[in-house]
Amino acid sequence: MVARLLSQLLEIPLVGVNHCIAHIEIGRQMCKIDDPLTLYVSGGNTIVSAFESERYQIFGETLDLAIGNMIDSFAREADIPHPGGPKIEKLARDSSKYLELPYTVKGMDLSFSGLYTAAKRLLKSKKFGIEYNLNDIAYSLQETAFAMLTEVTERALAHTGKKEVLLTGGVAANKKLQEMINYISDEHNARFEVVPLRYAGDNGVMIAWTAILKYLSKGEDTIEDTIIKPKERMDNIEVPWRN
Amino acid sequence: MNLEIEKKKIFKKGAEASLYYGKWFNKDVIFKYRISKKYRLDIIDKKIRNSRTLNEARALIKIKNYGINVPCVYEIDPEESIITMDYIPGEKLKDLISILDIQKLEDYFKKVGIFIGILHQNGHIHGDITTSNILITPNKEVFLIDFGLHDYSDNIEDKSVDIHLLKRVLISSHGDYYKICFKAFLEGYRDCYNESSIEECESIILNVDVIETRGRYIKKEERL
Repeated sequence: MVARLLSQLLEIPLVGVNHCIAHIEIGRQMCKIDDPLTLYVSGGNTIVSAFESERYQIFGETLDLAIGNMIDSFAREADIPHPGGPKIEKLARDSSKYLELPYTVKGMDLSFSGLYTAAKRLLKSKKFGIEYNLNDIAYSLQETAFAMLTEVTERALAHTGKKEVLLTGGVAANKKLQEMINYISDEHNARFEVVPLRYAGDNGVMIAWTAILKYLSKGEDTIEDTIIKPKERMDNIEVPWRN
Repeated sequence: MNLEIEKKKIFKKGAEASLYYGKWFNKDVIFKYRISKKYRLDIIDKKIRNSRTLNEARALIKIKNYGINVPCVYEIDPEESIITMDYIPGEKLKDLISILDIQKLEDYFKKVGIFIGILHQNGHIHGDITTSNILITPNKEVFLIDFGLHDYSDNIEDKSVDIHLLKRVLISSHGDYYKICFKAFLEGYRDCYNESSIEECESIILNVDVIETRGRYIKKEERL
């Protein structure tokens, strides 16, 4: 809305940008990476994507909750203030006691709802505080969820044969996840990069940068073109600057 | 089982499992070995490899009983996550499509349709029906392989997704033959449903088209 207003007032070009694609583009730019397989993990999205057949194709994604949303929701249940992710990561570091949790990978897609429910149940159980503590749940939750993410990323890496892996989104800040994705990248002789934190989470620069790329290849959009489509999928969008 | 010897004859290496060729009581066999992944905790790794090995082996044994050509399972080692199964000589249907005559091609795809129809009616989902996972033996028999993504379901949606995968592979890898192959497949698939179940069969086939109109796939299909 503001962008539309400003472009009218200042008579400057208006360019519509897809949020998910902007995450990948700023990552490519900041990490000097050309054609990566991207694992994009945040509060709103969990996507494994790579550029193929002129689009950012989605090879795997969550079938229900986004990973960041799942962790934050669990943290809220445990009375940890928002954002819960960094706190969960810290709690997990002090445990090595694994409590069994459901692991759900379907092909290259993931499901976190069962994992969330099971973790919540551990929290409410009578055994909580006696047989195990919050550190143990945080540890088990991370180990399970991240192993799932790593498995689908590896599968997509083997499938696409890409030689670079990019980790982005708010959850990319998690050291444990970085370590795991780094491990499989090494195994497949792929270069691994994490987008610097201030550009990995949602930011304005990524939108501006992607708009520049699009403007230089295709020009500006009309106001009608920039109607917000919250359900638009990244694999539906043309990427003229990469073709 | 002396895996060290067999490991030298690696047959195929996938993201999840490696196949080794070898002998088992003088029979030609394949050892399917699920690879341990160091990035995950041992306890998670063991659980996944163990359950997937058992799931796949059980599925193969059950499916063989329906008269579907699948490799015979000889030995299961859930601890090491190894399935020892029949070595099926033959070629992937993928490599034959462009050189077969049309009649033969139709026969093969009809047979695949019948096999998948029987699987679905008995609540099995193959999970990865691609032309790489269909073998044609030297005696012209059709074999289904790789049940690594097998699942149990009586859902129309799951069955449609199963068929949709084959359709996508046919369009993207064998575009010129897609119509002939898919038509023959559906013919075989319909054939194995009877009067009381044909309605469900039609809903499954109709739902394949519905899946394509969902955001995820529509543009891909349009582009082709």
